[in-house]
Amino acid sequence: MWWKIIIFFGMSAVIVAAFLTASPMRAADSLGAVDAYRILYFHVPQAWVASLAFLISMIYSIRFLKTKNMEYDTKALTANKLGVMFAVVATVTGSIFAKMTWGEFWNWSEIREVSIFILLLIYGGYFALRSAVSDPDTRANLSAVISIIFAVAALFLIFVLPRIYGLFSQHPSDSILNESGQITMGATVRIIFFSSLIMFTALFFWVYNLSVRVARLSANLLLENKK
Amino acid sequence: MPIQSVSWVSKTLAVTRKDIVSEFRTRYAVNAIVMFALVTLTVISFAIGLLSPSKEILSALFWVILFFAAMSGLAQAFIKEEESGTAMILRLSCAGSIVFFGKMLFNLLLLITLSILIVPLFIVFLKISPADWIIFTGGVLMGLIGLSGATTIIAAIVSKASVKGALFTVLSFPVLLPLLVAAIEITRVSFTGGSFADISAPFQLLVAYDVIMITLSSMLFDFVWRL
Repeated sequence: MWWKIIIFFGMSAVIVAAFLTASPMRAADSLGAVDAYRILYFHVPQAWVASLAFLISMIYSIRFLKTKNMEYDTKALTANKLGVMFAVVATVTGSIFAKMTWGEFWNWSEIREVSIFILLLIYGGYFALRSAVSDPDTRANLSAVISIIFAVAALFLIFVLPRIYGLFSQHPSDSILNESGQITMGATVRIIFFSSLIMFTALFFWVYNLSVRVARLSANLLLENKK
Repeated sequence: MPIQSVSWVSKTLAVTRKDIVSEFRTRYAVNAIVMFALVTLTVISFAIGLLSPSKEILSALFWVILFFAAMSGLAQAFIKEEESGTAMILRLSCAGSIVFFGKMLFNLLLLITLSILIVPLFIVFLKISPADWIIFTGGVLMGLIGLSGATTIIAAIVSKASVKGALFTVLSFPVLLPLLVAAIEITRVSFTGGSFADISAPFQLLVAYDVIMITLSSMLFDFVWRL
């Protein structure tokens, strides 16, 4: 119970601090509206949580294929449902950021935008498959298999392609996931950023826990009614 | 009478031969895939043939044609089995991996046949010719191996779904994206004329993708086939 209070106050503190403290990007380094960079406090954790949700779904899919326990299928589905919500929010905030700094809402030559779009397509494909199969056992098995295939494909797209391809780095890379943004962040910025990361992850796990329990209860209720 | 042990290679080739023979009878898949590619090529030639598109665009269009032709023609590999009622017998007669490799080989032959027909027409209609045929053929071959390797298991998944529709395309696209990126790059280099050093990175990506996807698919195939 206490951790829910911590999440509430922590998240509120992050949101307030994000707007009261100095912007994470210095005017000399930024390409446009300095204040727009505040969105980094929210956008990066959202994208991180979306990827985390997908990873959790893949892990539960593997466990389902090993044990054929429907509980794991429910957990994988819940993770994907939450993941797609975070992915949509991350895409929208990223697009707003792109508009304010680079002047356009979307650009196919920016690898981060392409990656999150492909993640949305993957989620879409997963839900399309789930709705196309009527038998629960078949549905669980097929979703688990496609989850694993998608995860490997996503690994290719996120880690291999940007390293190899010059054609995806025409934009100045925004200082998020893996490079010099870490080094140029000041102490205050670092605190707020990492608290935001922790708070978003905690929020995700809280909602995930609730959703799984609801799904379990409704499944039990269904069984009760059938008896 | 001693039981002869038949090697898995001859079993796999038997599955492929069965598909080739049944294909010769109806010519359904070959017709679908070749006519689709022909129509797409014609539309492209009409639409932009007079505008003298650059070699970069043409290399991308080449793979667009192959991709969409594959999407229209490769899904039937398992749907045909389910609809004609022969799927059960196939399940009983050999191991899952044999069926997988047999079907994959058949899809590959289908795609190679398609390429042999489409490439000369592409060169004639769009007035372009590879500067380096070795790079071109190598790239197309590795790309087709990856195409059939990655889509065979997805075809099996789609054959289990009750509402098929555009499911195959939706599921295949995120998986095939790394392959398309690498293959388009290699084809572009072969059109504009470049050395082997230019294609080493995408070629390694292509080989890695083929190996990883075929291995992953063969491991996961039994979970789909034995439902």
